Amino acid sequence: MSTELIKVTINGKEFQVAKGARLIDVCREQGFNIPSFCYYADLALQASCRMCLVRIEKMPKLQTSCTITCTDGMVVTTESEEIEKAQRAMVEFLLANHPLDCPICDRGGECELQEMAFDWGNLEERFTERKNAQPEKYLSPIVANDPQRCILCKRCTRVCDEWMGEDAIEAGGRGANTVIGTFGGWLNCSECGNCIEVCPTGTLLDATYRHQARPWELQQTVTTCTYCSDGCQESVGSRAGEVMRVVARDRYVNGHNGEFLCIKGRFAHTFINDETRLRTPMIRYKKGGKLIPATWDEAVKFATRGLDKAAEAHGANSIAVVGSPRLTNESLYALKKFATELVGTENYTATDAFSLSPFFQNLGGQIATHRDIRHAKTIVLIGGEPEELQPFAGKQIRQAVRNGGAKLVIINSTPIRLKERATQFLHINPETEDAAVLAIFNQAHNELAARKMGVQETELIELRRTITNTEGDVVIMFGGEVSAEAQSLLAQMPYLFNKEGRRALLHPLPLYNNSVGATDMGLMYGKLGATEMLDAAGDSVHAMYVAGSFLPQHLTGREDSLGKLDFLVVQELFETETTRFADVVFPAASFAEADGTFTNSGGLVQRVRQTIPPVNQSKQDWVITAQLSKELGVDFGFQMSASAVFGEIAERIPAYAGLRYPLLKDETNPVQVKHATIEQRDLSQESEAIRARVEKMSDTATKINATPPVGHELFKIGTLTDKLPQMHLLASGNPKPPTLAVSPLYQITVDAGMKREAIGGD
Amino acid sequence: MSEQFTPNNPLPQEAKLPAEIASFSPAVEAEIDAHLAKYPVKRSAILPLMFIVQRERGYLDPPGVAYLADRLGVRITDIWEVATFYSMINTKPVGKYHVQICRTLSCKIMGAGKITEHCAKRLGIKPGETTEDGMFSLSEVECLGSCGTAPMMQIGFDYHENLSAEKVDEILDSCSRGEYRYSMKS
Ligand code: SF4
Ligand code: FES
Ligand code: FES
Repeated sequence: MSTELIKVTINGKEFQVAKGARLIDVCREQGFNIPSFCYYADLALQASCRMCLVRIEKMPKLQTSCTITCTDGMVVTTESEEIEKAQRAMVEFLLANHPLDCPICDRGGECELQEMAFDWGNLEERFTERKNAQPEKYLSPIVANDPQRCILCKRCTRVCDEWMGEDAIEAGGRGANTVIGTFGGWLNCSECGNCIEVCPTGTLLDATYRHQARPWELQQTVTTCTYCSDGCQESVGSRAGEVMRVVARDRYVNGHNGEFLCIKGRFAHTFINDETRLRTPMIRYKKGGKLIPATWDEAVKFATRGLDKAAEAHGANSIAVVGSPRLTNESLYALKKFATELVGTENYTATDAFSLSPFFQNLGGQIATHRDIRHAKTIVLIGGEPEELQPFAGKQIRQAVRNGGAKLVIINSTPIRLKERATQFLHINPETEDAAVLAIFNQAHNELAARKMGVQETELIELRRTITNTEGDVVIMFGGEVSAEAQSLLAQMPYLFNKEGRRALLHPLPLYNNSVGATDMGLMYGKLGATEMLDAAGDSVHAMYVAGSFLPQHLTGREDSLGKLDFLVVQELFETETTRFADVVFPAASFAEADGTFTNSGGLVQRVRQTIPPVNQSKQDWVITAQLSKELGVDFGFQMSASAVFGEIAERIPAYAGLRYPLLKDETNPVQVKHATIEQRDLSQESEAIRARVEKMSDTATKINATPPVGHELFKIGTLTDKLPQMHLLASGNPKPPTLAVSPLYQITVDAGMKREAIGGD
Repeated sequence: MSEQFTPNNPLPQEAKLPAEIASFSPAVEAEIDAHLAKYPVKRSAILPLMFIVQRERGYLDPPGVAYLADRLGVRITDIWEVATFYSMINTKPVGKYHVQICRTLSCKIMGAGKITEHCAKRLGIKPGETTEDGMFSLSEVECLGSCGTAPMMQIGFDYHENLSAEKVDEILDSCSRGEYRYSMKS
């Protein structure tokens, strides 16, 4: 859209609008209500519902405002008897085939058709024809389908295609008999549930929430998702202390993700009220003994005594403090403060599998937000698999290419599915991402890099040309495959590619919702990393205070390390491999019970709001830390308020300077933290280190040729996703399980063997 | 089969492409290639290819859909969407003789309803069904462009026009006796 202004007259009033603006948007911005079903911003135009009709002078018939681009001097009428008559007729047609049984429909109370029928419906139904009755069914373990309620706006099919690139749901049949459906009656997709979200009627429904509650009984709280680093804004619907569902419907929340959520964000929330949540603090009085429930007072005393003893015997550095990148900034800050100011240990870290500290220590430019990705002109994706690990970033890439005409260069050892959209795909040998970074950083390394990556040198030249020919934003994204040195080179790339009219923006793809926050709070800059810490257990580390748990990838091969500690304090939601060795366990509150902030991969710091009171006797992580420190004789001065903790963060951490909760109130305008820009520095040492490593790589590696199946990361069972039964069905293979018994209202699996072993961590 | 849709875009289990139609006979493959060569975008060839698969496999069965998705570089749901749109594409097995009666305006006015009823009674099936012996399928289709000679029906690709109950009986009899000869190749 250009900045040139043109004149449009709407209902007799003149307005200056940007040239190329869509009429429906303009009218709505100016406060004229235009009803619509099929129009959806940033999706292909459909113009099938005919609700958005307006009269435009010098044009025959009524026009669909959702397809009209404003032109200079356009004279528009949005309200008149003629228009109202047409709109009423459209609703009448839609209702001709739609069951009028809202009281038994799950969408009742938040249904766009229902609302439209209130405004534009007629009292009397004139049609007496039979309705197109269809049985209810399940399209997958989590998507329920009531085909007769469909009004064929095709939002679902467009979202499925344009956002997700799945094309799993389409309109079959013809004319009045058209139904939305899938081939074989079963959805084979990443099960994002976005079709459920955008459906204006009760046709596509959340099968995990179905017939559980009515929308008006729910308390809707806007908060940030706890799964990946995209930081999607969502609305948690809870009733009487129980989380019933998670949606991103724009009537409740308007975050940077719009109505987008992925399977985990939308459906895997059942862990919050799970039976197996820890109930009370517990103490193991004797090594090898059982964990015995205790009161908070006893447990806190026991914990501080144990930590004290270790410090006395082996010194402060023998105590390690470990956080989790899932915790809020507030909790992570409290942990860091506990470690450095109270205990005085150098051993602190967060259990992340991909540390971004080298990146932030060298950051020479700006971080791209998800909005920047959507409007980028060129995207370079090195390693990573955003569609599985950061689904919203994946969607933004897809749309940038599809709707924004961006160029996409993918450098990956696996032919990931996004490569369908790529302008250039560099299919490199496994584990040679560093070589790619080296070549982009300095083309003098092209020959070596190309040889080790198993690509042509010309491909690298073309890649460089794509970047240097870009007018607008270049977003460089990278996944966890790159080494620490390569991260430093990447972080400094803006100095190479920034120029008049071109910005090089960076976007890391961390693994957890608050990986960036954990780095910002300083927890990732401790002396030892998570695995090293486990290796040091019983050696230089004698006691540990862990908030969260170690990941399976940390613990493999080190299963007994924690047993070597003299004393272990853990705060967790569930019993895990880490609590198995704990001397004291505190029940911690999940994101839904906590107040605080998360910082996403785009550097946006967004609010986490308490949606339900803490489950059982759990407490927020920073509250537990503050309690421990108080017992140890130091009052952190948090005054039991998360906003006080955040106030201190804003004072002490420069990137967060000046921020306060009220400034983060509006999820529509998220705030980006100001990471310090590091001046251009000499990176020859890092380059040499990478070059030396690249030289040792094999020349004849075999490439990975198979595209992994959809959901191979998304459907992994971890501690949290484990609590959603439907996840197990998906994890055991997406095609319809033969043991799934489905009735119109229920679905059950008969086979408990489908529950797979936990694969990944979360 | 290429890796285009498996495992990336997994198919419902029943639609896994069986080895025997991983490709058709060289002659059929050549015919398919000839169609593909006609269009700048591969997926434009969807209709001619559907007809070929239908001819070769009797109807557009799930493996056939899988095959088409693979050949055209689209997803199986896209094939499904198109296949269910056209009444000429059968997604269920049809009998040896597929009786398709036009139900659009001109034919309707000229008594297509009666013709359908007559056929249904004679064959003992409803439109959309196939007789138990697998000889006949009956369907109602949209205008076949032969309105001037309404009512009309189609068997395979053969037009039978200006129908009356007697005329229909005659045709169906010859089918039952196995004497019916197609004049149009499908
Ligand atoms: S299922 Fe819902 S979103 Fe999809 S076309 Fe029907 S009414 Fe629209
Ligand atoms: S919103 Fe314009 S036709 Fe549906
Ligand atoms: S109406 Fe029957 S052929 Fe046209």
